[in-house]
Amino acid sequence: MSPLLPIRQAIDWGQIAPLRLRARQVAEGIYAGVHRSARRGSGVEFGGYREYVPGDDLRWLDRRSLLRHGRLVIRQFATETDRTLCCLVDATASMGFRGPAAPAAKVAFASLVAAALSRVALDGGDPVSLTFLGGDGGLPVARSSGHEQFDRVVAALEAVRPGGDVKLDRALVDRSLQALARTSKRGAIVVVLSDLLDLPDDAADRVAAIAATGRVLVVVQVLDPAEVDFPFSGTVRLRSLEGGTVVETDADSTRDGYIEALAKLTGTWQDAVVRRGGRFIRARTTDDPVEIVRAVVQAIR
Amino acid sequence: MTFYSALALAVGLLVVIPYLAHRLRRRRADERPFPPAGLVQPAPPRARRRARLEDRALYATRAAAVVALAVLGATPFVRCSRLSLQRSGGASVAMAIVLDDSMSMRAGVGGESRFERAKAGARELLSSAREGDAVAVVLAGAPARVALAATTDLGAARGVVEVSAPSDRATDLDGALVLASGLVSSLPQLDRRVVVLSDLADGQPEGPALGGSGSVPVWVALPEIVARGTDCAVLRADRRGVRVRVGVACGPGAGAAGREVVVEDSAGALLGRAPATVGPAFDVSESTVILPSGDAKAVRARLTGTDAIAEDDVAPVVSDAGRGGIAIVADSADEAVATGGAPIVEQALAALKLDLDVRPIPALPDRPEDLARDVGVLLDDPPGLTPEQRHALGAYVEGGGLVMLALGPHASAAPLGATLEPTLTRAVAWRDASRVGADPSSAVGDLLGSAAGLSDLGAPRRALLAPEDAGAFETLVKWTDGAPLVGRRAIGRGETWIVTLPFSVEASDLPLRPAFLALLDAWARTAREHAAPRRSDVGSIWKFPGARRIDVRGPTGPIAEAREDGIPRVTPPILGLYEIVVDGKSELRVAAPSARELDLRPRRLADGAHGERVGERRAFVDVSGQVALVLLALMCVELALRVGSGRRAGAA
Repeated sequence: MSPLLPIRQAIDWGQIAPLRLRARQVAEGIYAGVHRSARRGSGVEFGGYREYVPGDDLRWLDRRSLLRHGRLVIRQFATETDRTLCCLVDATASMGFRGPAAPAAKVAFASLVAAALSRVALDGGDPVSLTFLGGDGGLPVARSSGHEQFDRVVAALEAVRPGGDVKLDRALVDRSLQALARTSKRGAIVVVLSDLLDLPDDAADRVAAIAATGRVLVVVQVLDPAEVDFPFSGTVRLRSLEGGTVVETDADSTRDGYIEALAKLTGTWQDAVVRRGGRFIRARTTDDPVEIVRAVVQAIR
Repeated sequence: MTFYSALALAVGLLVVIPYLAHRLRRRRADERPFPPAGLVQPAPPRARRRARLEDRALYATRAAAVVALAVLGATPFVRCSRLSLQRSGGASVAMAIVLDDSMSMRAGVGGESRFERAKAGARELLSSAREGDAVAVVLAGAPARVALAATTDLGAARGVVEVSAPSDRATDLDGALVLASGLVSSLPQLDRRVVVLSDLADGQPEGPALGGSGSVPVWVALPEIVARGTDCAVLRADRRGVRVRVGVACGPGAGAAGREVVVEDSAGALLGRAPATVGPAFDVSESTVILPSGDAKAVRARLTGTDAIAEDDVAPVVSDAGRGGIAIVADSADEAVATGGAPIVEQALAALKLDLDVRPIPALPDRPEDLARDVGVLLDDPPGLTPEQRHALGAYVEGGGLVMLALGPHASAAPLGATLEPTLTRAVAWRDASRVGADPSSAVGDLLGSAAGLSDLGAPRRALLAPEDAGAFETLVKWTDGAPLVGRRAIGRGETWIVTLPFSVEASDLPLRPAFLALLDAWARTAREHAAPRRSDVGSIWKFPGARRIDVRGPTGPIAEAREDGIPRVTPPILGLYEIVVDGKSELRVAAPSARELDLRPRRLADGAHGERVGERRAFVDVSGQVALVLLALMCVELALRVGSGRRAGAA
């Protein structure tokens, strides 16, 4: 029997369970108010001027400026608008890993953050959608708002089981990103919760491209403390949860090389995301989820 | 080997079992899930490497144990071979071991020197000796000598064998056999024998067969070390100025084609070279190497190429002690009347072109230091010597100097208290010689060739020695009445020569004859030899009569002196340069190889010397006890390794 089978059967919630209550506690720890939209256009509060460009609505043409200065200027107004929160939770097999020092599996931690964010968004009146990368039994949650949506999000997160191998099924990423594109419009907030491991080489650029299409992108890398610190010693035989990679090595002599390789991978993602205007947050499953959610909210603002 | 022994040895094939067991025992490390395993570099795990090394030690131990078990199972079929004694009726044995420590034993055989093989044979023989056996050890390097008189203390015999070392001496097998036979012939053991551990190369291949005579049976125990091959050697290397004359000799059958003589300094840098020329066997051929300058520090001459013995291919370069002189004390006033210039003896020495300074002095000095640079002192009819002069002359001769004393009317008329000691102890008479003449037939030595010129020697008068003094001299040429005309006598380390005619043309016509030049030439050459470093065969005895204290330092360090009748003596055991300090005065001597040691043809053996009656070439010894001990030790090692590896595994 494969040692990975129990991980695939259910999420190791650990100290995070129950998700519903934990997510509410986390959400209540966040100052969440109505967030101001960056969009400008029709509204009630003056937002400034800009030069007219063909295609602008002539209703907002400032006639006084035209008569006084002879220039075509458009008046802009700030408007409060709802923004869709689209959460993409990585539920591939690698996210089911829980090290000895971790309170829960990575996917559980990611689910807690996603649920808390959903709670914050729903409390602000913004719609929420949920998409999974891989995973078994987890159905995506369509964009909606209201308190029932929180229950639907939590139910979907509790139902998913880690599974799927991106190394073997390259279309997993395509399907998830396409689903995300369908549910998120321009101005939407996209939060990707993943360990970023075992993803295709072009995944960083493809995910970062979300930020370039008028969406706010926040990538949260969720890692287990064992993955960060490499706490092994002596001879170890390590098997990845995706791709079937097996490595036998001397942990003491290869620790520095591993940490360097992980930093390089993280740096690659961070560069790709930040370069496109997104935000990159790195989290351990031992971190306080309140701080992670607060960091995401602040990144969104 | 019987079927059973082969079967037992076949158990050794079971050595593959530990190998298979170790292969099967190798385990992998426990597998752990780790998502970013792809970021981990595979590396040769140290822990596993360590485990593999430990496994190898364990495997080697177990394999050795299996092999030992097979050998143990095969014993007594499998046994070791070694030398041992045969005993007639189990009685005690008296054995004299002749261990050849000559230079030819330095040659190699089977990766070790013949001498080491001979020592190993002696050890094997001693290990087969029992309590009650008597053992003596004789060393066959010339001169043969007793290293250990017959004794039943086998530990002492083993100690003597262990401390014996090879030398560069010649071989004296006959003398060694005589000594060995004498040591055991009178012992109470009825079973006596002489065991020869030698290459039999004693330079007398045509001599009588070894072991054919004598009352004690002789057994030549190690035929595999019997000499073969050829050898050449550098016998001498003398330097004068920028020339180094190198004497090379070869044994029978040896050639020096393609070999060169090279001269090196102390650092091994090449100073000059010349092709080696070799004539008939044992003839010393001389090659002259020209040095780049007179300041070159030539240390050794070496013969390139290889032969049976490498140690004799190198010889130290010795220099003459510089351009010495000959001090002459002659009455120049009287001689000038006859010659119109310098005394005739001075002119004769100059005519000989001896490469020596002729130094006329008016009188013999009172201090020996004033004669230190002179290789010889010539006194022409001195009117006696004062006590101070006698002391100075005595010290000079004792220290190795050479003196020639021509006796004439002045010597016979010496004043009271002025004697000619230490050359003569009695007064000299100046007598009529009209009825006697020189006897050319009595000439010996260097004067033999020119003595014919002394016939009809015209000398009206001659000096006559007192009988006590005449008997002390070795006569080189006599008068017809038997009285010495020319004689020589060793005093200390020097010599004094006398001529019973003065070197004056008024006293005789001796100075006008060719024999006079030959006499001076022979004396001057002897004087130069005394001044130069002395060279003698290695192993020959150097005696220092009259010396109170000597310090000898050879190529390998200080050498202890021995005394015989109060006379210090030293025997140089190896080739090379020896620095000797005799009563504070330093001199150099050279131990050169003996030419006959270059002959590596072995001596013939008598029929009974092959050991059928007196010993076993290959004796068989049961080693099962030792193998069992080894097996026990291996099991202990295996247990320790397992305990050690178990503790490490528990700690991990």
